[in-house]
Formats: sequence, structure tokens, C-alpha cells
Amino acid sequence: MTGSAKKGLSSLLSKWRSDRKYTTFDFNPVATFSPFKMNCISAVKMYITKMTDESGPGMKVLLMDKETTSVVSMVYGQSEIQQREVYLFERIDAGNQEPMKHLKCIAFLRPTKENIHSLAMELRRPRYGSYYIYFSNITPKADIKTLAEADEQEVVREIQEFYGDFLAMGPHLFSLGIPISYQSSGWDHDILTRCVQGVTSVLLSLQKNPFIRYQNNSKMAKRLAETIRQVLSKESELFEFRQSGSPPLLLILDRRDDPVTPLLNQWTYQAMVHELLTINNNRVSLAHVPGVSKELKEVVLSAEQDEFYASNLYLNFGEIGQTIKELMDEFQKRSKSNRKLESIQDMKNFVEAYPQFKKMSGTVSKHVVLVGELASLMERYNLLEVSETEQELSCQEAHSQHLQHIRRLLANEKVRHEDAAKLVMLYALRYENHSSNDTGGLIESLKRKGVSDRLVKMVRTVVEYGGAHARQSDLFGHQDAVVQVTKRFFKDLRGVENVYTQHKPLLVETLEDLAKGRMKETSFPFLGNNSNVATKRSQDIIVFIIGGATYQEALSVHQINQTPSLGIRVILGGTTIHNSTTFLNEVDAASTRSRVQNL
Amino acid sequence: MAEGEGLVLEGFLCPICKVDFGSAPKLLSHFEKEHNEDKDVIQAFKDFFDKAKNKILKNEMGSGVDSEVQTSRKVLGYSPSLYKPQPLGAVRSHMSYFNTVRSHHLEHYTVETNKLLIRLDKILKNLPSDPLKRKSHEQQVVPWVDEKMVRLCPSCSRSFHLARRKHHCRLCGFVMCNDCSYSLDLDVARKMTSPVSQVQAASEFHGSTSLQQLKRSNSNSSLNSVMSLVEGVHQKLDLGLRVCKECLHLLECREALRESRAARPILLQFYERLRSYMQDASQFLPTYITMCNSLSYGESTYQLKEAQALWAKLLRLAENIDSLSKKILVLGSADTENPPRGRALQLQQQIRAAATAFLRDEMLGLPSLPTEAKYLEMQEQRRQELKARIQEEEMEAQAAMQLQKQRKERNQDRSVHDERANAHQDTVLLDSGWTPEKARLFSSDDPMVQQMNNLKHYIKEAKLAQRVDEVEALERNLQELQEEYWRQQERKRQAAED
Ligand SMILES: [Zn+2]
Ligand SMILES: [Zn+2]
Ligand SMILES: [Zn+2]
Repeated sequence: MTGSAKKGLSSLLSKWRSDRKYTTFDFNPVATFSPFKMNCISAVKMYITKMTDESGPGMKVLLMDKETTSVVSMVYGQSEIQQREVYLFERIDAGNQEPMKHLKCIAFLRPTKENIHSLAMELRRPRYGSYYIYFSNITPKADIKTLAEADEQEVVREIQEFYGDFLAMGPHLFSLGIPISYQSSGWDHDILTRCVQGVTSVLLSLQKNPFIRYQNNSKMAKRLAETIRQVLSKESELFEFRQSGSPPLLLILDRRDDPVTPLLNQWTYQAMVHELLTINNNRVSLAHVPGVSKELKEVVLSAEQDEFYASNLYLNFGEIGQTIKELMDEFQKRSKSNRKLESIQDMKNFVEAYPQFKKMSGTVSKHVVLVGELASLMERYNLLEVSETEQELSCQEAHSQHLQHIRRLLANEKVRHEDAAKLVMLYALRYENHSSNDTGGLIESLKRKGVSDRLVKMVRTVVEYGGAHARQSDLFGHQDAVVQVTKRFFKDLRGVENVYTQHKPLLVETLEDLAKGRMKETSFPFLGNNSNVATKRSQDIIVFIIGGATYQEALSVHQINQTPSLGIRVILGGTTIHNSTTFLNEVDAASTRSRVQNL
Repeated sequence: MAEGEGLVLEGFLCPICKVDFGSAPKLLSHFEKEHNEDKDVIQAFKDFFDKAKNKILKNEMGSGVDSEVQTSRKVLGYSPSLYKPQPLGAVRSHMSYFNTVRSHHLEHYTVETNKLLIRLDKILKNLPSDPLKRKSHEQQVVPWVDEKMVRLCPSCSRSFHLARRKHHCRLCGFVMCNDCSYSLDLDVARKMTSPVSQVQAASEFHGSTSLQQLKRSNSNSSLNSVMSLVEGVHQKLDLGLRVCKECLHLLECREALRESRAARPILLQFYERLRSYMQDASQFLPTYITMCNSLSYGESTYQLKEAQALWAKLLRLAENIDSLSKKILVLGSADTENPPRGRALQLQQQIRAAATAFLRDEMLGLPSLPTEAKYLEMQEQRRQELKARIQEEEMEAQAAMQLQKQRKERNQDRSVHDERANAHQDTVLLDSGWTPEKARLFSSDDPMVQQMNNLKHYIKEAKLAQRVDEVEALERNLQELQEEYWRQQERKRQAAED
């Protein structure tokens, strides 16, 4: 914790605090702790724990594929799994290594053709003493037969299906790790299959056999819903759960209905880190930060293993800065009061004597670096001002004023090209059908600013992706009555708004409608003739967004889950978790134009 | 309780000794230290404590909503309290289908391997050294296929002629060329047919002869490993037994399996010992911590000597874990030519890392025992406290009686407000901490617990009266009772788990 880092932080804090428009932050009161039983992380973790239990005592190796490696790393830390006697990790596609007959092999694999093939080869010439095989999804009998015939040395002790076929990003958040899910014509067959497997495994791991609703204007949503339904019927035995209370609901949405949320700059800790630094499988690279120490070149952000992160990931930037400042002050106070700590040796002794303290200061220094980096990016690229205009664009109708703000920002040297382009995209989306729309003029300004061709073209591509023709919801609140109701509802919940976080994802409105039984069947029909179900209200809801969810939406869901008056418990999932960069990549890939170009 | 408006919210009273501790955490810690022999009561107490805590918290936050809507509120991150334990997700086993297919598929190999071993055994018995006699002996056991029927070598598909002559496998009688045949060393063959117990003295499986205990084998193992068992391929065929690739492969697989099952590398032995130390340590740790807490509070539930012995035991275990895991770390590194590398080395490093983590997380920073002098001091202090408490209790009882009297009088002229008062009082009840009345619910019906409580009471009295002999006898009694109670609880717990 260097002095300069601290200084930077406090100046930043004063900036955030002294901003004249800063009022208070706007969150739901966390009134009750009514615990609930749908936790993605626990679901996967319990599967892994069961695997290590079933194999009994002894040294173990965990054999995985690329995807299950990520699945496990999201829920188990290395030292934690070591205590369960798993000492080695091996990728099934890594090529054979020397045999170690005294080890037990836990194979946790997706039931793909390649994996079955590799595993059969492995069993023919087993390198380990015994095998406990767990497939992450429904596995065809034919594949089981192939393996049984390969097991000529009778090394297989267990072969089961454990449905951990998704990335548990948080207790209420999952991802399938599919960066690009659209094809111009609709679903790519493999990606559709992966989505079906992912969503059904979530259902199985949480023991839910849901009714299904889908976004009516999205063919892909309908197709996915139907394919999932087929699996539910075909494997009806597997989906026989004792379900108490109202039946759960699976709601399938399409990102195209809300292209705005992934374009915005974020101000809550987790979302902000993902937007500005990118979180990949709980990891953040800080290698580009000047002067960063070796062990902080890549940091792990896991709510499971980092208590500080777990309790602060939803705080806004001002609050997280404050928390860290307090921690540092505390640190200083403690070291001052303890007079013995004068030499480095004293410090060392101190830290050695209190492993707990070492652990704490270790994680905190990681967050100090992270927050410091966020602060410097925010300063360098004028993100506060950019964000303010983004928020206005997403929440209010004021054409000439917005146009003026955008022009001013485009002229600002500090504003990054991508932020400039995103502002124009937001403008193009909001004022798509406005009589004095000047998207063309703004595009020219972007070009003059020297923004890359790709980004400039993306303005039109985004409208093609999520313009009015692609949406069924009233994203920009043109129908005033509805907006008023929603706004009032939120005012009640939140109190005063903060300029940087005015925007609420469309998902919030959707889920509220659902909770209050106002969701229209014309917009979100039930699959099949389940209209009698419509009268029953679901408490447990699993939302899946084709085209990716965002951390902002994850936060909204977290808040909804803690709003008892709504009476719903939601798990959010998506093909991936987007920030604006990955979102634009996906939009680009989904565009017909880029497809033609690629051919 | 219904009329006791004043009695209900009196504070954080211990249900057993009825002392007010002022705050919930203090009460809880007192309860754990003082009444720790009764697990059930502690659990019930803790459950209630958590409930009460939630209620209080909820209440505070709830009132906050009304009064401070305008202030900012932080969004809590993840916390375990938000989630209830959930059942394990769905699972499906394919083991029975797998077994069916596997045994069906393997039957062929088992039968074949058995057959080969029986033949091998017969051939090796009374094997004549004279080549001609030997040949007829071999043919007697395994009749040879009529070689005129075979035009091509079944293994390499080349035709036979003068330079490529036909040979017979001594085990299946089939024809092949010289290039495709292997020589099975007779000593190796004898080892194969000998009962396992003779080959591996320490072998822990396969009771009788191997012929009755055949293991199934593999059909596709590599030729390289096959070669390892064969000495002098294509040479000195007369010394060995000429066999075809298939037959040799079946035998080799069974042999490999037998060997790998019997092999116990030194690492495994070290590792198993390490784990048993770790298990012992985790077993003793909770007992030690309980003892240590009890003693540092000046209680006489446990003997200081006893705790010191356990402490020494734990220290020894920690030392053993440390030194043994170090040994595992450097295992084989003395062999400078061929030190462990790659995954073998990684395995050793990881085992050491896990042991270090175990020591750090579980064994470091254990509370230390009080010294003999300190302990005596604590005991004395406790005695004084007890005395004071009993006095206090008496005074309280008197005060309570007076209060009750007053209330009765008041109630008579306040009957009009009763309804409202009762409604209000119900909510207070839910939110309040402890009342002696409530606490009785938790005093267990278990005669043993009752007996233990009685004993504790006697001990207290005896101590106050300074009757040392009696105290000692009673404490021994109590200890025996406690031990039996623990055993009972443990059995119950295990039964519940099953
Ligand atoms: Zn007590
Ligand atoms: Zn041949
Ligand atoms: Zn043969």
C-alpha cells in the first residue's frame, strides 16, 4: 500500500463525493434475510464434493476437459480441493502422461464424442488404479456401452451423470461461456445443443421441472424453449422432483430486446471491473498496470474465496473506495499504536505471528490495486461525464440536449474512441425514429475524430441488431403510462436516484411484471397449452438470456431476490456475461453484413 | 408468562444459572463455557439465539425503512445467510448397465485366459527336456491345428514357403510364421502359473491358486509391454515356449494387473501414514479446544494434566505431519540419476502443500493451556464469582416476588387495557432474548443430563462449603457421566447419519 496509491484514492473519493449531482445511492432496502434454496455455486460445489467423497480415501487426480476445468475452478479453490486429497489436475486432451497406478482418477467430463473417444482409449490402457467417471450431462446409452467394452481391466468403479454443465458465476448467476451465440439465420446447431444442455443441467442441479415462457418476437427463444421442452418430456423420469409450492418457471429472453444495458459504463464494483478490465473465469489481468507486483499480475476475484470481494462486489465506486480507505486507515492506526513495528523485521515478525492479518492485508492490497486502476481509467477517459450522458440517453427523452452533449463529448480529447462510438450507438437506438435524427452527422463526427472504421460501422450494426424492429418491449419508455407506473414503483423502492445509476435494465421491468402477474401472454407465451398454469404464480424463476447477460442485470436480480414484497426468487443465466467490448463483438458476428464480408 | 410483562424483557439470562449477562454474545460464550457438557441444550440455545438475532436485526432494519427512506443503503454482497442448504442436485447412475455390458464383454477374455493358464500349467508339469519328447508332450496338452489348412500367416498375412516356415502356438495350437511368434521364457511362465502367495509373500489378495482366481485381461495392450515379458524374441526358441501374439497378450495383461495390484510404492505407505496422522489430529482438536476453554475459565470439568497430555499428543502429531510430508517432498531425490520429475514430483509437492495448509489452518494458533498457578488462580476467582452470583440470585428472587405482588395489584385496576397490552406483549416476546420460563423448554428430559445438572449443583455447594474430598468424588462422578453421555450422543449422531 504505497503512499501514492493512497493519495490517488483519496483525491478520487473527494471527486466522487463532491460532484454536485451526486446525491445518494439508490438501492433496495435489504429488509429481511429470507434464505433461499437455489444457489448455483452450491449446486456445482456439492457435485464436486460428492465426487471426491465417493472415491474414498487415497491420492486423487482430477481428469477434466477444457469446459469442466472452468466449471470446477468457479466453485473450488486449489488449496480447498487439496484438502479433499485431489493433488493433480489433468486435461483429457493434453495427451497421455506416465501411469500412476497408485492414484484414483476422478473423471469429470462433458459427454462429447471426443471425450467419450479419449476416455475409451484411456480405459483400454488405464494409467490410474481406478476410475470414477462423472458426466456433466445426459449421456447416451451407446456411449456408456462403448466405455463398458473398453474397460477390459475393470478399473471403472463409478459411472454417473452429475449435472454441473454450466459456469456458476455467483449464487444466482450462471453462464455457459459461449461468446457468440447468433448466426444471421438463427441458431447454429452446436450452440443450440450446448444451450439446451446448459439450461437443462441448471434445472437438474437445482431439481426444478419448470413451465417455460419465452420472448414471443424471438424465433431463437422459441426454438430453444421447444428444444428444452423436448428434453424435459423425453427424460421425464429424471425430472421427477418433489416440488412443493408453486411450480418453477423458466423464462427465455433474447438480448436483442435490450441492447442498451451492455453498452453502458458501470459503477458497481464487479460490473465496473468487468467493463474496464474484463473478468474472465473469475480472473482479471493487471499485467498492463505499471509497477504492479508480480503476484498481482493476474488476480482472482471469487466471492467464494475472497470475503472482501463477496461483501463488496455490489457496492458503488464511491462506497468501495471509502471501504478501502477505512481499511487502510485502520491498518495505519494499528501499526502506529504498535510501537514495536519499527523495522522491516518487526513487520515481518508481526505478519508471521498473525497469519489472519497477513491474509487480510493480502486480499486488500489486491483490491487497492484494482480500485486504483479503475480510478485512473476513470480519470484518464473522462468516464464520469461520459457515463452521465449515457445514463441520460438511456432514461430520458431530450433530443436536442442529448445531441449537444454527445457533440461536446466527441470533441473532448480525453474521451476514448469506443466510448464515443457507444454514445452514438445509444443515440441511434433511442432516436431511431425521431424526426430530426442526426445519426449520420454524428457518424461523420466519429470519422473526423479518427474512430476506426469497424467501430463507426458498428453504429448501424447495433441498430440492425437491436433496433425497434428487433424489440418487442418498450425499451425507451415511449408509452408513458407504463413508465410512470414503473418509475413510481422504483422511487418507492429506492428513494433518490444517482445520476450515474439511473438506468435500470429492461429485465427489472420484465421480472416485476412477472412477479405481479402482469406479464402478457401475447409477449411471453407459455409453451404448449399451459394457459391454466398462467393463473399460478411461480416463486422460483430461472431466466436465460440468449446473447448474454450482464453484471448489471445480475445486481438487479440480486436486489429483486432481496425484495420480499415481490415474492420471487430469480436465477439469471446467459450464453455469456457481457461487457460492452464482448457485446459489440457478438453484435458484429450476428450482423448479416459481416457474415457476407467473411464469406 | 402471560401476565409477566415486566418479567419478559429482563435481558440475557442464562437458562441454567439465571444470571443476566447483559448482551447476547456474552451470554452465548458463557453458556458454551459453563454448560458445555450438554450438546443438545447448546444447540437448541444456539438455534434460538440465531433466531432471536435475526429478529432483532430485522426489526432494526425494518424500523430504518420507515424513518430513513432518504439515506443511502448499501447492497449486501453474497453472504451465506442468504442461502439455505439445498439438497444435492439430480444424479443418475449408469453403473448397472455398465456392469452388464462389461461382464458380458469380458466373459470371453476371462474364459480364454483361464484356458490358457490351465494349459500352461499342464505343459510346465513334467516338461521333458528332450526336444522330440517335449514336442509330443506339448501336443498332448494342446492339439495342433492341421497346418495344411493354413496358407497365409493369420497375423501378417504373408504366404508360407521354405524360407517362411509354419510354426504352432503351444497354447492355442494355431499356425503362424516365425516372425509372428514369441518365446515365453519358462521361468516367466512358471511365475505366471504359480499361486500368487508364492510370488508375493505379502500379497493381500488372491487366497488360493491363481488358476481359480483368474483376472480378466485386456486385448489391446501395447506390444512394447508385451515384449517386456518376452526374452530373446525370435532366438533361443527352444528354451522358451513358442506362443502367438494373442495368447501372449492375454497372459501378459493378467500378469500386469496382478503386479500393479500388489505394488505398493513407498510413497503410498508414507502417504497413508500421513493421512492417519491428519485424521487423528482432526479428531483430537475439538476435544482439546473444549478442554482448553473450560480450563481457562477455571472450571474443574477436566483435569489440567489430561489436557496437557492431549496437547503433547497434538504437538507430536503436528511434528509427525510436518516431518513426514517433508519426507514425501524429497522422496527419491537422493537418486541423482533419476530423481522424480514431472507429475510424480508435482504430486509430492502438492501433498506437502496440503499438509502445510492443514498445519497452518488447523494447528497453528491453537489456544494454549493455563499454567498450573494460573489455573488455580482462575479456579479461586470462579469460586468467588459463584458465591457472588448466588447472593445476587437470592436478591433477585426476592425482588421478583415483590414485583409480582405489585403487578397483581396493578392488573386489577388495569383490566381495560389488557387486550392492547397483550397484543403488544406478544411481539415483544418474539423479539426478546431470554427468560427463565422459556429456558425450561431446553432443560432436557434426558435423565442423564438431569443427573449431570444435579451433580454440578452438588459440586457447587460442596465447593462453597470447602468440602474438598466430596468435591473430588463428585467431579469424578460427573466426569464419568459426561463421558458416557458423549458416547451416547456420538452413537445417536452416527445412527442419525446412517
Ligand atoms: Zn449459566
Ligand atoms: Zn506372420
Ligand atoms: Zn496362441
